[in-house]
Amino acid sequence: MTLLQIEDLKVHFPVRTGRFGGGKGLVKAIDGVSLNVAAKETLAVVGESGCGKSTTGNAVLGLAPITDGRIRFEGRDLAGLSPAERRHVWREMQVVFQDPVSALNPRRTIAQSIAEPLVIHGHPKTKIAARVDELMDLVGLNRDQRDRRPGALSGGQRQRVVIARALALNPRLVICDEPVSALDVSIQSQILNLLMRLQRELGLAYLFIAHDLSVVRHIADRVAVMYLGLVVEEGPAAEVFANPVHPYTEALLSAIPLPDPRQRGRRKRIVLEGDLPSPLDPPKGCPFVTRCPIAEADCAAARPALVETGDGHRVRCPVRLRRT
Amino acid sequence: MTLLSVQDLAVQAGALSLVDGVSLDVAPGEVVALVGESGSGKSLTALSIMGLLAEGLTVTGGRVDYDGTDLTALPEDRLRALRGADLAMIFQEPVSSLNPLVPVGRQVAESLVVHDRASEAEAAEAAIEMLRRVGIPEPARRATQLPTELSGGMCQRVMIAAALISRPRLLIADEPTTALDVTIQAQILTLMADLAADAGTAVLLITHDMGVVAELAGRVCVMYGGRVVEQGPVDPLFAAPRHPYTRMLLRTIPRLDEPTKGELFAIRGNVPSPKNWPEGCRFRTRCDRASDACTARPALIKGDHRVACFHPVEDPE
Repeated sequence: MTLLQIEDLKVHFPVRTGRFGGGKGLVKAIDGVSLNVAAKETLAVVGESGCGKSTTGNAVLGLAPITDGRIRFEGRDLAGLSPAERRHVWREMQVVFQDPVSALNPRRTIAQSIAEPLVIHGHPKTKIAARVDELMDLVGLNRDQRDRRPGALSGGQRQRVVIARALALNPRLVICDEPVSALDVSIQSQILNLLMRLQRELGLAYLFIAHDLSVVRHIADRVAVMYLGLVVEEGPAAEVFANPVHPYTEALLSAIPLPDPRQRGRRKRIVLEGDLPSPLDPPKGCPFVTRCPIAEADCAAARPALVETGDGHRVRCPVRLRRT
Repeated sequence: MTLLSVQDLAVQAGALSLVDGVSLDVAPGEVVALVGESGSGKSLTALSIMGLLAEGLTVTGGRVDYDGTDLTALPEDRLRALRGADLAMIFQEPVSSLNPLVPVGRQVAESLVVHDRASEAEAAEAAIEMLRRVGIPEPARRATQLPTELSGGMCQRVMIAAALISRPRLLIADEPTTALDVTIQAQILTLMADLAADAGTAVLLITHDMGVVAELAGRVCVMYGGRVVEQGPVDPLFAAPRHPYTRMLLRTIPRLDEPTKGELFAIRGNVPSPKNWPEGCRFRTRCDRASDACTARPALIKGDHRVACFHPVEDPE
């Protein structure tokens, strides 16, 4: 069953431009993104800075203004909800951000932080302490840390607190925005294992926003690759990682440094020229045309469509589609 | 021949030990990686070499021999003359390391002008040429722009151009690509490898990313808790890591060739802060091979591939 449907979402921000802010421009942070997240699955959204992956998550959370398009949760359009319905949706949909330090109030104890959504949503006062203990057990925190403050915890433990708080109201969907990228390497796998276990035990769906492709490959069921506000390729994670079709996906995968010196020089690496174009002045046709190694004349003319190539695999590249 | 030789370096904040007996060598044209997690002492080691430790931190032991001179004993004015000419450093955050009010071309040219190696006009021309070499399109126009008008990836290339323009003999790069996207990272790593090979620059690369190490370095020093726990050439170290920490660290990285969705290997516990380092081996509280012997400090055994462990791994699994 589809839990979250994002339909042709556009988020455009007006900005001032020029050295003294005299000009006006429009940043099309997201320019027509459609994605679905089914119950109990992990959809990963990947891409580099400025691609719009975090803005997509923020739009779902109501933290970015929607210019056009729809977001439906359990079939209901989030734009037209009554206050009561909105409260219900906020229980079902929670978020874990990248930085566990700024996500927690330094003056509150761990137990107070975890209890916060319970208090806000009117959980019976007498039952809060028991629920906090339960949540601390669930995420692998020691109960005797309940009266500690975040400053006394390590980065990994703080992220566990943030996860416990996100789970307090039994959500069905958790939006994870770079949940492990601020953590030490030896701690990342602990938190990834925790997220995978919680998904199995609680039947959670994740919208997993990340830039680290080896992490994404490991935990995602499906993956969407974004570039300059558009999805350029989407499909089952195993399929996209094994057989990327879009030249950007290919370059992205080939650029991951592998922890194996024997691979050095043996891998075919596609080093892209140049930088991401300014989102104030994106290319007219395909967003990737300025850096694409296989671009043809018509790529700059019109924006290519996202075309299904089979089994839920969609690709926005007419050149590759013509050749296959 | 060794250009940089760090011997038994110790750094403290008051009585608190942060770097404890670090030794490493870098030869011309060689890339040596210093790897570790937060609090391992890798960045402090780099800053000590450059004489750039923050106030409150002091080198309390050891030597930093650069071309036969102990840098820790050098007066500040002679050290400053070396920095920016012979020694250069690239930091993780390009945006905060550049002056927001000065056009980038002038910042790249600065070390030539300050050290009287070129006239203003010659330096400006050299800066444009250097910007072109680090892959900045339209370098003459870009040179006139402020850092805020450039992307993060371009600012990092500006930093690299500024570090390399005086043809340093030693380049220290502290997480040079951590703040960058992976496709830009690939450009920068390729550039650094080429420059080390072409100009014979000695590179000390500080990173937490084992992938970057495997791509770029010839030798590697793994640090944990302020000490070097293992060092050696990359090939044997990655193929058959001998310190349990190195072995576990490599196993925790999700690989692109293993089945997905399975339980990832995880090291138990947390990275201890310097205040909580255990006696003896500092990894022993997280180690599955630890014994009573590990409450004493393990020495780094001599040889090409060195390890500081009472129970090193003998054979790869």
